Order: sequence, then structure tokens, then C-alpha cells
Amino acid sequence: MQNKLLRLTFLICLAAVMSTTMLFAQQRTVTGRVVDDNNAALPGASVVVKGTTIGTATDLNGNFTLPVPSDATTLVITFVGMDAKEVPITAGPINVTLTMSAEEVDAVVVIGYGTIRRSEVTSAIASVKTEEIQDLVVTGVDQALQGKVAGLQVMNNSGQPGGGVSVRVRGITSINSNDPLIVIDGVPFTNNNVENTGYDGLGGSDGQTQNSFLATLNPNDIESIDVLKDASAQAIYGSQAANGVILITTKKGKAGDGKVTYDFSYGLQQVGRTLDVMNLREFAEYQNSVIAELGSGYIPTEEFADPSLLGEGTDWQDAIFRQGYTMDHQLGISGGKENTSYYFSAGYFDQKGILIGSDFKRYSTRFNLDSQVKKWLRAGISSNITRAIQNVTLADAAESTIWWATLQNPLIPVRNLDGTWAGNYTVGGYTYTADNPVATSNSRGNKGVNSQIFGNIYADVIFFEGLSLRNEFSYQLGLQNNMAFQYEANIGTRSLQAQLYDSRNNSYYYAVRNYLNYNKNLGKHKLAFTGGHEAQYSYWENMGGKKVDLQNNILDMNAGGTDKLTWDLTGGKGDWAMESYFARGNYTFDDRYSLSLSYRGDKSSNFGPNKKWGFFPGASVGWTVTNEKFAANWANVMNYMKIRLGAGAVGNQNLPGGAPNPPYTSNVNFWPGPTGFGQVGTASTNFIAGIANPDLGWESVITYNGGIDFGFLNGKIDLTVDLYKKVTSNMLLFSTGPALLGIGDAWNDLKAPIGNVGQMTNTGIDISLVTRNISKPNFSWNTSFIFSHYKNVLDKLINESSSIDGKLYYDNYLITHTVPGYAVGTFWGLVTDGLFRTETDLANSFPQFGSAVSQNETWLGDVRYKDVHKDQVIDSKDLTFIGSPIPDFTFGLTNTFRYRDLDLSIFLQGSYGAEIFNFMKWQLERMNNVYYNQSTAVMDRYTATNKDGALPRFTNTNTNNTAMSDRYVEDGSYLRIQNITLGYRLPGTVINRAQMSNLRLFVTVQNLYTFTNYTGYDPEVGSYNNSIRLMNVDAGHYPNPRTYMGGVSVEF
Amino acid sequence: MIMKNRFIYFIVILAATLASCSESFTDRPSLSGATVSNYYNTADEVRAATSTIYSGLAWSGYEARALDCIGEILAGNEHTYNGDDTPFQLMTVSATSVRLSDSWKAFYKVNGWTSALIATFEQKIADGGDAAILEPAIAECHFLRGTVYFYIARIWGHAPIVTDPGAIALTGDFNIPRYFQEDVLRFALEELQLAEAGLPETDVPGRVTKYSAKGMMAKLYLYQKDYANAKAKAWEVMESGQYDLFPDYRAMFNSSDNNNNIETLFAVQHQCTMNPWGSGNQLNPDRGPSSLQTDEASMWELYRPSMDLRTAYEPNDKRRAGSMMEHGWNMADWKPQKLPQADGSFSPDDAAYNDFMKDGFRYDTIQDVKQGGTLNGTRSTIAKYVVGPGQKYGGEQVIGMNTGINFMMQRYADILLIYAEATLGEAASTTDATALEAFNKVRLRAGLPVKEVLTLNDIMKERRVEFAFEGDYWFDITRQGFEKAKQIIEAQNRGTISGIVRVTGFTEDKMFLPIPASEVLQDPLLNEDPQPYYTK
Repeated sequence: MQNKLLRLTFLICLAAVMSTTMLFAQQRTVTGRVVDDNNAALPGASVVVKGTTIGTATDLNGNFTLPVPSDATTLVITFVGMDAKEVPITAGPINVTLTMSAEEVDAVVVIGYGTIRRSEVTSAIASVKTEEIQDLVVTGVDQALQGKVAGLQVMNNSGQPGGGVSVRVRGITSINSNDPLIVIDGVPFTNNNVENTGYDGLGGSDGQTQNSFLATLNPNDIESIDVLKDASAQAIYGSQAANGVILITTKKGKAGDGKVTYDFSYGLQQVGRTLDVMNLREFAEYQNSVIAELGSGYIPTEEFADPSLLGEGTDWQDAIFRQGYTMDHQLGISGGKENTSYYFSAGYFDQKGILIGSDFKRYSTRFNLDSQVKKWLRAGISSNITRAIQNVTLADAAESTIWWATLQNPLIPVRNLDGTWAGNYTVGGYTYTADNPVATSNSRGNKGVNSQIFGNIYADVIFFEGLSLRNEFSYQLGLQNNMAFQYEANIGTRSLQAQLYDSRNNSYYYAVRNYLNYNKNLGKHKLAFTGGHEAQYSYWENMGGKKVDLQNNILDMNAGGTDKLTWDLTGGKGDWAMESYFARGNYTFDDRYSLSLSYRGDKSSNFGPNKKWGFFPGASVGWTVTNEKFAANWANVMNYMKIRLGAGAVGNQNLPGGAPNPPYTSNVNFWPGPTGFGQVGTASTNFIAGIANPDLGWESVITYNGGIDFGFLNGKIDLTVDLYKKVTSNMLLFSTGPALLGIGDAWNDLKAPIGNVGQMTNTGIDISLVTRNISKPNFSWNTSFIFSHYKNVLDKLINESSSIDGKLYYDNYLITHTVPGYAVGTFWGLVTDGLFRTETDLANSFPQFGSAVSQNETWLGDVRYKDVHKDQVIDSKDLTFIGSPIPDFTFGLTNTFRYRDLDLSIFLQGSYGAEIFNFMKWQLERMNNVYYNQSTAVMDRYTATNKDGALPRFTNTNTNNTAMSDRYVEDGSYLRIQNITLGYRLPGTVINRAQMSNLRLFVTVQNLYTFTNYTGYDPEVGSYNNSIRLMNVDAGHYPNPRTYMGGVSVEF
Repeated sequence: MIMKNRFIYFIVILAATLASCSESFTDRPSLSGATVSNYYNTADEVRAATSTIYSGLAWSGYEARALDCIGEILAGNEHTYNGDDTPFQLMTVSATSVRLSDSWKAFYKVNGWTSALIATFEQKIADGGDAAILEPAIAECHFLRGTVYFYIARIWGHAPIVTDPGAIALTGDFNIPRYFQEDVLRFALEELQLAEAGLPETDVPGRVTKYSAKGMMAKLYLYQKDYANAKAKAWEVMESGQYDLFPDYRAMFNSSDNNNNIETLFAVQHQCTMNPWGSGNQLNPDRGPSSLQTDEASMWELYRPSMDLRTAYEPNDKRRAGSMMEHGWNMADWKPQKLPQADGSFSPDDAAYNDFMKDGFRYDTIQDVKQGGTLNGTRSTIAKYVVGPGQKYGGEQVIGMNTGINFMMQRYADILLIYAEATLGEAASTTDATALEAFNKVRLRAGLPVKEVLTLNDIMKERRVEFAFEGDYWFDITRQGFEKAKQIIEAQNRGTISGIVRVTGFTEDKMFLPIPASEVLQDPLLNEDPQPYYTK
């Protein structure tokens, strides 16, 4: 935003100067055109007569007309991000081609409460321009950052349209939310999720309820993204910055004639792969064999006597997946006249998910206006209105659509012959009761309608050259409507009751910011200062109701039954306020040495009377070695080198879910409905909502960063390497221990006190390499490679046996268990040591969880576990670390080619070394009953006649085989062909006839192929509800779709 | 002039900034809750806090499923096909069992809640709160705390005791040992004694009284084989005249109309609601037959009567139909119906079903399953705490899995049988008139002939059918000692109609269940030998 403003200001000044100059000088007029090395017009490039202030800017088509004094000989052409060029003034039209500047060292980088030139940056800041992400098939901009920024790990938590995305800046900073602070044109968003109602109210499991907030915003409006990665850069945002800061700048109007752009794309989506489960013939054989083993109490199914007579049965996966699509329209109008520039846009995005019951629509508008009102006053507004409508299907959870589609028996049809939904079937004396996922999905739903209005109004008062006061008022208004509903329906012998949960959540936020900016250049000294005050307040309230027996399945409260006993009404509200002072000083000497210091104090309503204030300093230095005299002769090889060092402290007030408000208190709260003796008509039953801790204070994150920027071979190669160490301490956690304490963090627990507990360290390296392999006028090839690695260690918790746990399947199964010394999210379980295959094996066995050697307990074909604890018994002491969801490294590789008007980009991204806990495998290879379908792998299980079987035996008595173990931990490394885009820009001669200034056609294939050994749907599992407690745990993961897309961009 | 404007502007902004940010800007008390200091001043406010701990919110982790698994399946009274639960049937329960961790959590949660309320109310009294209001509530908490430790000692044997969870949480020292079972029982007894001292003689229906405490103490003494005290406490309850047998055995268990009836000493209080989750009784779906399922009421009969229990009843025992559904069982008021398709028509199966049920629910093992029949492995279904297909279909209100029927944790029949057993004591038999009267009172309600002489075997047989599906039989088996338990368990038929299944090799370590594996992770001392809780 700021670089555009500067340019605009510059142009305005130029225009002013020109208008006076023109009156006096003797003149002639030169004309010409400025283009980039792709022959694309460069509007807004500055054209100045060398040695004077006489100049102009190019128009939308890159053309300029400039009256120049008769004695002028040379023009200087400049454009942000390009190398300046001097050209002699000649008689004919002057055509100038600018090339991208070697390192873009002088590009403007957006930092907190201001901007800075890239050359003066002393901390770790990465920037992404809109061109780098424009062709990606994404719902929200968070997805677009995957594999694009070193040190930024982006994983889709679900392939659900608009589903959650985990965005982590440099590892795992907090046990609570790791969402970075996202600041869009000055409006901060601390929570990157929007929550839907979930399915548990309708019965069964909930599914993921955290969806991407950024999906509700239109990514087409974005001009640039800057990521503040280290604390010296983040400290200016103090207590909200611990998870990193992502600054998003939206598009602004550019001076010149108005411009109309229209972008359209349409893509088809499909599921990449499905799981191998048994068909009906295979299942019949399996059941026959298993029943023979089970003996008395089980009778073989007559219909299965000759499996070869049977067909394939129902392919349930085929029944739940479908062809999806994405469609995107974007209309933008922008321009700038006199002292005012404007940008406004309207967007419509529509996506139909590949899994039944999921889709997403977004309507969005944006309006940005900037005006130089007076010489001393500049003011503007940026505002956004969006409305997103999302249907969330039950996925990524136990007993979800995908779960049942793999487990439901192929015996059962989707529909009965009479067209009704098939449900439980009785065949041969067995009743198969697993859910019909197609019928259920068609009968139930979760819909979220999320309207967001937010914006920023500012006024900049310029006292004198270099000193200005900026006043900002930021606001957000959120209106969210969530519905969970079930239609009246029959599924087999089961009847569903019509139900509607309908809730409204209103929230608002405002911030008032006033700060001074001072800039002074004194010869070799450059000085900048920013300092001011900010007050923020956030409020939310919600109300929700439920009714049943809806007439005609009408999803409206009034259509529900009138029996008040079936009604339900709940509400809630809360708020939060913070007052802050901040200051930052930057000093650069001779373009060689730079120093930046910042400081912020935050006073938050979230903390106890003893710890209300938090203070967050940051400092960094930079040394541009190549600007030293002694480096002059390196220039042929290494034209640029800068060393950066920084340290800083930031804070975090992200509280664990369910924390009391304010979190340091113990309050009396009230249940939303009748409990105990609290019958209808009597007072609500109350409960103690927590155990007070008046000493509750800030979570602190201290970061050290060292980085080097290199430029080699005159800009052919740019390399940036950053090393960091990040220590999180005083983490905000419920002080929970074993369940025997009787306190916990679940909604119906007596809430444990929230304490400042424990410490965690991330150390890592970010590498970004850009090479310009070929730069010919008609052909160019650029490569960009990013590499991120970090190591996370939980150093300590409240005590050594305390842990951070992740549970699954109604919280019944402990999957991750992190004790100090391990990375968070560590998988926990037993270590397998093959099977008991011989009598000798059994005779030498240790008792496993108290089981004796017998057919019903430990027997031939059972899993043998390792005696990790070396005490000759297998019990909970042998549970140990069995894998980590954290990758050794992640990477992205983008190659872009340009040949004349054709462009091609190939983008690969991947992750190496992470493990996945495949909970679906646990279910699909469970082999403990004769009803559910299983993976085809169970055909190779241990039996008396298949003693070399890869899988253990079938048993419905010995549960040890299915204990959480490394049997379900798989390598999650993958390399994905994420995106291939081929674009064609129509030649100017063609489009000019149509009054167009630009027309580009492109085709894209996204997520074309994934190289991986992982056996589930998709190795990009992400985090369940964005929580670090359940990362890479696959419980029926909604896979990321494969997309084939085509599109067009038109500019008038 | 321009400069002056700008500085005026600056001053205005500065003034506005400073004015807007007063000290109170960042002082934001809760918008949705009260503080302890300005609440708990009236009896209603205080009793509404203890109310929570009587509710399903606290107890359902035990009452739903774990109670069936531990109290009944393990004891051979129920049968299941459910993968999580078959280990209870075959005596192969492991420390990772979900049912174990759920019930463990539920008991210790009640302990946490009661401990926090006791501390809060005691502090409130110290700060000048009304002791007359607060002390009875403290006594209620002691009753509930004592009761859960009684369960803990019976299920797990040696177990941890925690009285101040908040303080432990803030210190972070979670190394809490197991204490000897006898100490856990003693702790439970002392809690019940505090309750007995502080609870009122009478209260509104459902609230525990002095006599609830005495009743639970009587049972605890019986487990300690302190027959004199058991008899004395049971007698105090009998003598009070406040309790009696409810005349209609079956009606106690199939309708919330009879909640907190004259027979109830202590019951988990339920409200038919889904919000908050757990407030409702959730036994209807786990026990009710799928042929009774409607759009209002879920039913999936996870647990069924065992073949063994079906043979335990004497002929003409009225409790049989009150406890289980077998072929021919019916309930005229319940008229479950299938809904029409979207076009208003009925599929042939649904039409046949509706016809079959139009005059009331019929439990029928011959009728086609899709047309209203029920055909499970033991040809029977539990009737206790099954309140039917929902209001639309002639039953009472059911919301999905939830009903409003209270679960009786101790009822007067137990007091009568405790009295009889305590009178018998270590003797081989008794003809004590009062004991016989108490015992026969229970039999008479069941429509059975009276007994003239009582043996322990008589009492145990009576207890099994009287309290079938109420979660007590496992404790009745184990308290008779390992040899007797082994004999009972190994003789049981744990199979289905298609085959007998017997458990062999019952070992002494199976008398108590393992502590949940997840607990041992966080508190390794639980793996160590138990310690004494009391120094003497």
C-alpha cells in the first residue's frame, strides 16, 4: 500500500512541478513507451529529464508524452522493483524496456505501523507479490502461501471448501492457537478461524468445526503479503505477535486513466485416490473364514456359502465422492485522478466440494480510496464487505462420512429397490448396523453464513517535511449465522427427526491508533522514528436455539414443534480490551550499517491485577558488506551481501479454549439448560467455572535471528538464509494433570486454574533461493526455491510427568502425548515386534496388559509388543514415543518460463520426515467383528493356514492387538506436483483492436500427482481443528482435490 | 496559519486519546457470570450449585455404559456384541478400556466438584456467609464424595485419594500414590459420617438426607463385614418411616413420573434435554430394542440380558417383565410408527411395521425384523430405564438419546436386603423375624412366596434379580471373596442362543479392574505399591 502511495505522491508532486515549469521553459515534446522484459506495459513508470525535476508518469498502456527543455539530452526511467534506465532523447518515439532490479533491494516492505526499504531491513521479513500466487486454485489466501515463503508452514486441515488451514510461522509457538496475527490494511485479525456448529448436537461425532477465516475474504484483492518472521520485526505488535505477523496490503488505484479488469476461472475437481477395501465377494470370504475361527455362538451366513456367486456389492467410496468445481469471477475498477486514487472490486466465488454435502460460496466487495486532501493532510479509507456461505460436511472425524464409507458393508445398497434409503440389513441372522453415509449426508447438514465488514479509516497530518501524525480508526463487524439441521427421513428402519439448531453470533472490534512518524536524511545518516498509542476493544455475543419436528423440513424456527420441553435456548457474551504504547527507531549510516529498535507496552484485561502490563522490546542490526569499499572488487561474483542480527520479545495472550473470561478469575457460571434439580420453571443450576490464579501473566516468546542476504552474478542468484531460535515460556495452559484430580479443560469439567506453565523451543533455518537462469528478451526462466526446517522441543511443563495430550474418537483414544523433551504432538503408543507365530513365541511371551496365554487372550497371531521398560511385562510403562508429526523439512520449488507471450509455471511442494498416525487404518484393520468392512489388507492376516500373514489374527476378545501402537504410524513424506499453469498473453495488436490493454488465457492443473508412501487418502493431513494436539492424525481425512482449471484475465 | 491548524488537531487527538483510555478500559469483569463473593448468599443459589453434582453431567461417564460393563457384563448379567465391551464379557479387560477411563473420570470429577464446593462454601462461611444455608450443602458434598470413593474402592481396590485438586494443580506435583483399599473405604465412611451429621432429617424429594447417608453407610459396613453397624444403620433407615417399597416394581423403571419415589435414597437426577449434554439419562438408546426406535428416540440395544440371567428368575416373578423384554412382552401405551416417505407413502416394510405396532409395542422374535420384530443373540432386551419411543408415540418425552428418568443408586429394597444379610452375618442361616420380614417384603412385591429360613445364597439370588441391570451384581459377587467369585463366574453361560460360552481361568487379579493406562502415564506412582492413607 505504502509504495503505491509514495509513487502517487511522487507523481502528484511531479505534476505540480511540471505545470509550473511548462509556462517558462522553451520546449519540445518527446513520446515513448515503457515496457517490462515481457513486453508488458508498465503504467505509472516515472520518466524524468536527467538533472531536473521535469518529468511525467506513463499511462495505463505504458505510453508517455513529456514536454522537455530544448537542451535536455537524457531521460531517466524508473519503476519500483526495476532497474532504473537512462536513455538518450531522440526524435522518434522512445521505447524503453526495464528489467527487474537485481535484488529488488529498494522495494518497499510493509512493516508494522509503517514501511521500510528492503535495503534497510535488519530483521527477517519475507514478501510475496500477487503475481506469484494469482494462478493457484485456492479458496483463501492462506492456502496460496503454501510452499511460497521460507519459514511459513501451511497445511490444509481439510480438503473441505473453505476448510481450516494451519498457518505456522516458524514452527509451533504456542500450545494454544498458533494463528499468526493477520493485519489487512491495518485491521488486525488474531483468530484465523470461523467456527461452525458441528454435528454432535445431531448425534454422533462433531467433525472439524474450525474453518478458514481467510476463505471468507477475496484473495483477488490482495496486492502484496509481508510476513514478519522474527521478534525484532514483530515486537512492535507486542502481545499479539508471538505467532508471527502477516501483513496483507490490498490493491490501490494507480494514477492515470481508469482501468477495468475482469478475471474468470472455472475448474473441475475430483478425488485423487481412494482406499482399497473389500468388495462383497472378498467380504463374504472373510466373514466365512472368521466365523469358522470364532466357533460357538456364531453361525455362518447361508447367503455367503459360495462367494463366487456374489457381485462386487456397493462401492461406498464411489457413492460419497463426486466431481466438484470452482468458479471465480472478479471485477475490478481502479484509477487515479488529480489527488485521489480509487480501487473497487466485486467478486463471486463458488466451489462445490468433492465430498457430498460440502460447498462454499463467497460474495465480496472492496473499496479503497486515498486522497491528498490538503497539502498537509492525506486521508483514506479501505473497506471490505464479504458474505461467505459454507456447507460443511462431516469429515476428518471418527464416524464421519468417509469413515463410514470405508467401513459400511458392501452388502448394503445405497438405496433399496423401492428407492428408499437402505440402512441396517439383516442377512443370515446378522444385523449390519453401520451408518449409510450417503443417506446421512443427504439428511443432515451444517451451514455457516459469515458476513464480515471491516476497514480502516486514516488521516495523515503532515506538520513539516519528515514529520507526520497518523490517526487510524479500524473496525470490524462480524455477523455469523450457523445452522446444524437434520431433515425428517427414514434410513432403513431408522427414522430421523427433523431438527434445527440456529445460532447468531455478533461481534465487533475497534482500534484507535495515533502515532507520529519522523523521517530525516542527513547526508549519510538516515533516521526514522515511529511512536504512538493504541486502544483496542473486542466484544462478542451469541444466541442459539433449537427446535424439532420442523413442518415440511422447513429450516426456520417457527416451523418447529411447539412443545417447549423440546426447545433449547442458549447465549453467551464476552469482551476483551487492551491499551498499548509503542515506539520504533531506525537508523542507517551510509547504506552500510542499520539499526532498528522497537518497544511496546500492552495492558490487557486478560491478566491478573499483578501482571496486567507486558513489555516487548526488539532490536536488530544490519551490515551491508558489499557497500564497503573493500567489497568493491567482489561485485563481479557477489554483488550484494548483508548480514542481519536481531533479538526480541513478543507475547501471546491466546488462551486455551474454554478459558473463563477473564481467565484469571474463578466465577460462578450457569448451565444453559436444566440439570440436576434445575427443572423447567426453576432457576438455572450453577457451577464454579474455574480455579482463580491472580498471578496469571503473559506468555512470552523470545526470538534470536541471524540472517544473510546474498546476491550473486549481478542479480542472477539471490540467496537468503536465516537461522533462528525461538523460546516460548510461561505458556498459558490449564494446569491439568491426571483425571484423578477431578479438574480439567473439557466444557463440563471443573476448570483447572490457568497458569503460566512450561517452556518450548523452536530452532530452525529458512532458506530462500531465487535464480534467474535465462533472461533473454523472448525467453526467460526463473527458479525459486524455499526450504524450511525447524526442530521443536517441549522443554518443560508443570512437572516431568505432565503432558500435552491429544485424544480422538469421543476423546477415548490417546493418540499424542508430549512430555518434556519431545516435540509437541508426538505420537504415543506401544512398539510392535512382529506377531506370535509359533508356540515357542507364545511360551516366551511376556504378559501383555495382564492377558494370559489362551485363545481368548494372547494367542498365535497376536501382536507382540516390545518390552520397552524391560520389566518382563507389557503394560502402560511400555508406551513410548512412536513418531512425530513434525517434518524434518518442507520445501517449495517454482519454475517459471516465459517465451514470447507464453508463460509456464511448475510448482512443486512437499514435506519430508513427518509421520502420520493413520487412525483409519486402526479401524480398517481392526478385525474384531464380522459386520464392518475392512481394508483388503486383512485378507493377508494370520490364520492357521496363513502363518506368514502380514496382519495379526482376527480376535473379538483380545483388545491388545488394537492398542495404539506404531502399527498405525506411517511415513508422511510427500512431493506434490502442486500446480502447473500455462498462460498465453494475447499480442497487443490483437487486443488493442478490442480496446483492451491486456488479455491473458491460462490453464492450470493443481495437485496433479503426489509421490508418497502414505496409504491414506492424502499425506497432507494438517491439524484437527487447527490444534497442535492432533497434527497428522488421519481419522477419515477429507483429501485435497485435484483440479483442472481454465481462466481468462481481461484488462480494459 | 496552517501550522496552527495542525497543532490544534494534534492537541485534540492527544486529549481524546488520553480521555478515552481511563484505568477502567482494561478492567473487564465477566459479562456472563457472578463472582463467588457476590453469590451463594441464598439457599436457592447454594442448592443450585450442589444440584449439578446430582446430575448426569457428573455421573453419566459411569452411569452410561461403564455401569453396564462393570456392574453387569462382567458379572454375567448382560451380553454384548460391542467391540469395546466384549472384553468385559470374557474377562479380558485391559487398562486401556474406554469404560474404565470414563468411569474413573466420572468418579474423580464428582470428587473434584465436591471438593471445590466444600472449599468455596467453607471460605464463604469464614467470610461471614450464612452457615445455616451453607453447611447442609457442605454435608451434601460429603455424601457425594463418600459415595464415589465407595465405588472407587469396590471397582479398583487400592486407589488415590484427593481432597484439594486446585492446590495440587497449581503446584504441579501430580505424584499421588494409591492408598490401601481399606483406607479408601475408611475415607468414604468418614465422608458419609460427616454427611450423616450435617444433612437434614428430611428434604425435598431427591435431595439426600441423613437417612441417605445412613443407607450408604449400611452398605459400606456390609462390605467391611461390620455386620453390627450395617444392621444398625439399615435399621435406622427402616425405623425412620420415611421410605418404603414402591408398589409397582415395573413402573419405577419405565417412566420418569416415578422419579424420586418413596423407595429412593439416592438417585442421579436427570432432565430430558440435550443441553447441557449429559443432563439426560442415556440408557434408553443403549438398552432399548431397535424395533422401538423412532425419530424421537434412538435405540440400539448395545447391551442385552445374558442367557444366564434369564435362567435366574423363579417362576412368576413380576420383576422379570419389569426388568427385561422377551417374546410376548408388550406395552400398550407405546405405539412406535415409521414416518412416511417424502411423497407421503410408506414403503411396504414400514407399512407392515406400523400395522404391527398400531395397538401398542410388541416384543416379538418371530415377526420379520424389518416389520417390527426383534431377533438378537439372547432373544431378550433390557427393560429397566427404557422409557419408550417418545412422546409422539405414547411414551414420555425422549430427545434422541436422552430421557428424564432418574437413575436410582440406592433404593429401599437394598436397605431391606442389607438388613437381612447383616442379621445373618457369618451364620449359615437365620430365622430372625425382622430379617425375614424385611427380606420377604421384597419377595412379596415380586409376587413370590415368602421364605421361612434365610441363607446367604438366598439373599444373593434375591439381590441378583431384584437389582438386575442396576450395576450392583459385580460387587455382590466380588465381596464374597475370590473362591466364591470364581465358582459363580466360571459356572455362568456367557454365550447366546446359538451356543454356550464359559469363562475359564478366572484369576484373583481380576477381582479388581486395572487403573486406566492414561492415568498411569501422568501419575507413575499409580504403578507402585499402595501406601497407607491413615497413619494409624
